[in-house]
Amino acid sequence: MTRAAFSYQFPHRHLLSVADLNPVDISQLFERAAHWLAVNRTPDKSSDTLKGLTVLNLFFEASTRTQGSFEMAAQRLGADVVNFAVATSSASKGESLSDTARTLAAMRPDIMVVRHNATGAPKFLADRTGLSVINAGDGMHEHPTQALLDCFTLSNHWGSVGGRRILIVGDILHSRVARSNIGLLNILGAEIRLCAPPTLLPLDVDQWGVDVFHDLDEALEGCDAVMALRQQKERMSGGFVPSGREFFHLFGLTHERLEVCAPDVLVMHPGPMNRGVEIHTKLADDPDISVILEQVESGVAIRMAALELLGANIRKGGKS
Amino acid sequence: MSETLAIINARLVDPASGHDGPGSVLIEGDTIIAVGSDINVDAADEIIDAKGCILAPALIDLRASKEPGLTPDGENLATLAAGAAAGGIGTVVLAPNSVTPHDKPENLGAMIRDMMGAPVRMRVAAGATVGLAGSSMAEMGLMAKAGAVYVGCGDRPIADSNIMRRVFSYASHLDLWVACRPADAALSDGTIALESDWSARLGLPAEPAISERIAIERDASLAELSGGKLMIDRLSTASGLEALRHVRQRDIEIASSVAIAHLTLNEIDAGDLDGAFRMTPPLRAESDRVALVEAIAQGEIDAVVSDHRPTPFDDKGEPYANAVPGTLGLETLLASMLGLVHDGQLELIDALRVLTCGPADILGLPQGRISEGAPADLILIHGDVPWVCNPEDFKSPRGNTAWAGRRFQGRVLQTLIGGCIIHNYNE
Repeated sequence: MTRAAFSYQFPHRHLLSVADLNPVDISQLFERAAHWLAVNRTPDKSSDTLKGLTVLNLFFEASTRTQGSFEMAAQRLGADVVNFAVATSSASKGESLSDTARTLAAMRPDIMVVRHNATGAPKFLADRTGLSVINAGDGMHEHPTQALLDCFTLSNHWGSVGGRRILIVGDILHSRVARSNIGLLNILGAEIRLCAPPTLLPLDVDQWGVDVFHDLDEALEGCDAVMALRQQKERMSGGFVPSGREFFHLFGLTHERLEVCAPDVLVMHPGPMNRGVEIHTKLADDPDISVILEQVESGVAIRMAALELLGANIRKGGKS
Repeated sequence: MSETLAIINARLVDPASGHDGPGSVLIEGDTIIAVGSDINVDAADEIIDAKGCILAPALIDLRASKEPGLTPDGENLATLAAGAAAGGIGTVVLAPNSVTPHDKPENLGAMIRDMMGAPVRMRVAAGATVGLAGSSMAEMGLMAKAGAVYVGCGDRPIADSNIMRRVFSYASHLDLWVACRPADAALSDGTIALESDWSARLGLPAEPAISERIAIERDASLAELSGGKLMIDRLSTASGLEALRHVRQRDIEIASSVAIAHLTLNEIDAGDLDGAFRMTPPLRAESDRVALVEAIAQGEIDAVVSDHRPTPFDDKGEPYANAVPGTLGLETLLASMLGLVHDGQLELIDALRVLTCGPADILGLPQGRISEGAPADLILIHGDVPWVCNPEDFKSPRGNTAWAGRRFQGRVLQTLIGGCIIHNYNE
């Protein structure tokens, strides 16, 4: 155990927002994630760190990769994992979220992993159940483990993201991934750039500690990493952007456009990708530049780290 | 000869006449027969010594709602009237909304008959369009005959300007006010918060404040074109207020109300995403709130409404974004306004004007004033009694209040309607 981890106890019982984390919390998460990343590459992946604890995956929105990632993380740590299929359960029978929460809490799980289309739903559940809650995406608000895995991936390449120039391009307005990344990258001292047409930017986003661009070529200059966001098809057909192909021509990432970036630029994408809308298919598959699959691998490790640290606090009965 | 009742040694506050000073009132039957400092009370059958407390007209609330009839455990006419009486409200208008659209004359007639026995005066406003859907006109004429006091559009504005124009035009021959929520239908559709730094960071679907300005300009223009009377139903932004000032320069009959929530709360109160603060219109910026309070002091607002909306707890058992909008308001309306007076933001007489003669004058009601010949609808207020808002203590069976836990100063001691004491604080 490192000195930092030894002298400072990770104080949180929930992971609801990146804004709750300080740089030491983050480095602790990264240290543990690095450990699990290495373990996950061996044939002996199982541990009994969370043995005896139950992790409940409560996904009110469809998800394959995030839910699968959390499930794999919890199972590798030895927890019992239950996936609650909300679409076929009480929520569709008109039960209120607080009733659903109380019912599930009565089954005595320990950690609830929540995705919901309403901002604040994970915190709502944390307040009402007393369980440890991990926010796996709430509305257009936050997706903290995604931001953590993104920064973890980058820091594995660079040592640290502090002082690096990172561009986020695409639909910032509707993106919880962007909101969490902006928060986390700011805490870690990165230089953040955003690039999108004005219709896809939140109000007064220039007040969020970022530089805002509408011209991709200008925005890409000197960037150490570029994160493309997923463009939802229904927003690419006239409502926010005239068409997917126009978006690609103005804001799509290609090898040629990346030439103005720093020499070893990294390209990221939270998935699932729309090839030919936000990213050129050849670029997405270029192993020298694209770290998209590394992100997925980091995702399991970072979720193991989060579950482990929260689990340790549950065992201590600590409150935060 | 009817019984006479005198209320003496009061601080008489009557916004209609601008009087704020010591005085007494003599009531015979259901009518005020004398007002002043030198009236002869010796002959009165009964005398109430106000001991310096405030005597004001009972309040008039142009916008409240109950739950649909037969809602289990819900707010009904009796609990609503009891809450109004406790809050010092003597006249309550039930306004249409999506769950109680008030769009059929037969239902409205039955409702009005049910209201006859209520201790407070209850009135109904009719829905302007069928189901408040904004597509075809409801039977406004029949509902006016049944007793509707104005017509309204509920929370969703009438998007189609042609329909809006015809509603104004048709209502004008019945001399009915048309209450319109000032919101541009497209800009406000699906939104749950004000477009602001707060809502952008939280990723909430938000409505820009200028939505209100656009709607007021449109509705005022259509009212001007068709000779209708526009009641701006819950003005809530400084931007809308600017538009109100602008359209008032023209020759249009315009009245404007503001909901008590928008005078006493702002978006930061909802900062923790507590569903209790989800309302329609959404809570606004502090600068909007301050502008609205200032507008009341300047006499630019005609009425402040409770926008009382009882909601089952289960509906609020959802995160902010999914919570049913609305808060209870009848029992906290006066105390919230008095809070602005105690804080030095408003004079008492200005605060009471928009709760008494202001709304009375819109509807042409005789109450809402302390003058000879007016109905004896009065309230006696102790301006300093401290209390904490606890929904458990409400007359309403519901508890969805945005003011839960608030500390208030000032309480209604007695409510008189038509000369009868219908509420006593200590009882």
